[in-house]
Amino acid sequence: MPDLLLEVKNLSMHYDTLDGNVDAVKDISFSVKSGESFGLVGESGCGKTSVAMTLLQLQPDNSVITEGSIKLDGKELIGLSENDLRKVRWDSISIVFQGAMNAWNPVIKIGEQIREAMREHYPENSKQENIEKIDELFKMVGLDGSISERFPHELSGGMKQRAVIALALSCDPKIIIADEPTTALDVVIQDQILNEIKKVQDLLGLSLIYISHDIAVIAEMTDKIAVMYAGSIVEMGPTKDIFENPVHSYTRALLDSTPSIRGEKRKLKSLDGEPPSLINKIDGCSFAPRCPDRETKCNPTEHMRLVEIAPDHFVDICSQGKQ
Amino acid sequence: MLVYTIKRFFEMVIVFFLFLVISYLLFNAIPGNAFSSLLLNPLLPPEAYQKTIEAFGLDKPLFERVQLYIINFFKGDFGYSYTYYPRTPIDLIAERLPRTLMLFSIVNVVAFYTGFLVGKILAWRRGSKSETWITIGSVFSYTVFYPWFALMMLWFFGYKMDWFPLGKFLVPEKWYDSPYASDEIFYTLILFTTISSFLLFLVFIFTRNIESLQKRRNARLFGLIILASLATMYWTNGEAALKRFYAADIAYHMILPTFTVTLVAFAGTALLTRTTMMEVLKDDYILTARAKGLSQKRIRDRHAARTALLPVVTSFIFTIITIIDGSVLTESIFSWPGMGQLILEAVVQEDIPLAMATFSFIGILALIAHFIADISYAFLDPRIRIKAEN
Ligand SMILES: Nc1ncnc2c1ncn2[C@@H]1O[C@H](COP(=O)(O)OP(=O)(O)O)[C@@H](O)[C@H]1O
Ligand SMILES: [Mg+2]
Repeated sequence: MPDLLLEVKNLSMHYDTLDGNVDAVKDISFSVKSGESFGLVGESGCGKTSVAMTLLQLQPDNSVITEGSIKLDGKELIGLSENDLRKVRWDSISIVFQGAMNAWNPVIKIGEQIREAMREHYPENSKQENIEKIDELFKMVGLDGSISERFPHELSGGMKQRAVIALALSCDPKIIIADEPTTALDVVIQDQILNEIKKVQDLLGLSLIYISHDIAVIAEMTDKIAVMYAGSIVEMGPTKDIFENPVHSYTRALLDSTPSIRGEKRKLKSLDGEPPSLINKIDGCSFAPRCPDRETKCNPTEHMRLVEIAPDHFVDICSQGKQ
Repeated sequence: MLVYTIKRFFEMVIVFFLFLVISYLLFNAIPGNAFSSLLLNPLLPPEAYQKTIEAFGLDKPLFERVQLYIINFFKGDFGYSYTYYPRTPIDLIAERLPRTLMLFSIVNVVAFYTGFLVGKILAWRRGSKSETWITIGSVFSYTVFYPWFALMMLWFFGYKMDWFPLGKFLVPEKWYDSPYASDEIFYTLILFTTISSFLLFLVFIFTRNIESLQKRRNARLFGLIILASLATMYWTNGEAALKRFYAADIAYHMILPTFTVTLVAFAGTALLTRTTMMEVLKDDYILTARAKGLSQKRIRDRHAARTALLPVVTSFIFTIITIIDGSVLTESIFSWPGMGQLILEAVVQEDIPLAMATFSFIGILALIAHFIADISYAFLDPRIRIKAEN
């Protein structure tokens, strides 16, 4: 296989709660090549952030990984000690969090918060070297070097977000996760930030995992996407394929509910019903109760599993009809 | 920051004027007009009586008396102490103030620091057995009736175990042939602690720009070693070598009161730190810090504890005022001859000039402590600092 950077196999994770287990990640597999950008899309609450946190091994205390493996550059992350993980984090894999507005400590200067990470991973760098590098990164994301000396509350939301991107790049990671990085911003700034991320990714040849509930944004940003529903990937493939030939009913519903990015007016269709609660175990297709095609095309009782229907294009078996 | 400091300073001056006026009016309002008790005080010779009447304008109307009092205050003229005639209140305060300052600045620094440290660790180890027990212990010492607790400590460590002296601030027998007055030793001690804390502060300031954490730690360690050797050199050479014996006696007498007050005073800080830090640990930037691969210790100290410090300092500012009643109680129980005891004596003896002078001075102390705490708060919280600058 051509240099697989990140390889996730059969990953399952649940949260232990008083009401029972919340199955946030169910048997998920995907891989990201170096330089590739991978999109993860799905309704809010389907487990996208849970996947992102698990990749960094930063999941909350009440989470349990029941199965699976995460290989980054050939190195297994699950079960790694906290000390070994510290070396991997930011150095190989960094993240722009959802709601990154609050990612900055209010009482420490921006520059110091970036240098702090660089000190950890490049202990031999001089302060001057670090400062120069930060200035360079700031320039790349359209910020002035003087921002380093500012405190977070002195910056606007957009500036903070750009600085977060600079922070994520500061230790030359091989892959960046961006978890809905534009949610809290207004539309114009959202666009700028997206362009910034895309530009930086191309420029540095990084891999990117872009997470969003908005499939239109994903289309702009990624080479390959996975559509997630209720903790599982229901369809995955090259972005172009998915857009031109969506197979799973949920993917189609998502696409139909989004104004087309190519400008042709599509009729907005909203999905009926709610996503299922992740506490209840579901056998068979979890989308079935909301699926417009459940009576006709699908086989909702089939146990969920992905099958390859075209090169690199995978889809949940339920959508393949009765066999 | 400078503007802020100046602003706070003027506010402090205004509050101080109000304090002077109100405390004068309060003394004036003591039933039966306390000033007339002058006439009854047998300790006071006639010429002092006349002087006091004049100095305080006791035959004038209230408004002029207040004015006179404030003017006299800034001249440092409080008349004469009735009980210690012919000593003046200023003279007495100059003797007592350093003792109180020494004891209570050390107690407050130690209590705040241990409280913060303990609270920080409690929050970090939430749910562990040690956390539960130390929290219960802190709640106990936070709520315990202080005079009882202090007496128990005195009884146990002073009497039962006989580890520490039962009170006073020196053993008189050791001082009979001393070439130094106890005050002189006290000043030496105060000077020594002030300078060493200042140098310690400098070490930390100058090393904070060292980029490599390893090198920074080593530089600090090196600085501490230098300071320690300087201190040793100081106490083993020249005059200080002679003073050492007496200084040690005073220091020895300070241990039990310091320990007792610290035990009681640290708990509030510890419990508050624990609660605020547990909140802070849920904040997003803690997750960022973890994602950056920082060490646990750095996340705990630099990110969580540093932010949790703010409300803790605020509450500490509000408790500074308890230094006053605290010093009265503590000094009485440990018979520590400081300002607290002086106030008590002055009030009990109806020694009005002395009482007023001591009250004003304690007021100044509290205000200054407040001022310092306020400034350091602004220093700690950039949001306030920057608002203050604009
Ligand atoms: N710490 C937690 N404990 C229990 N349930 C959680 C926890 N974190 C997230 N969840 C639940 O897990 C599911 C997936 O959440 P999340 O991964 O945040 O979804 P997304 O990012 O796609 O919106 C949601 O139902 C959410 O309520
Ligand atoms: Mg999310």
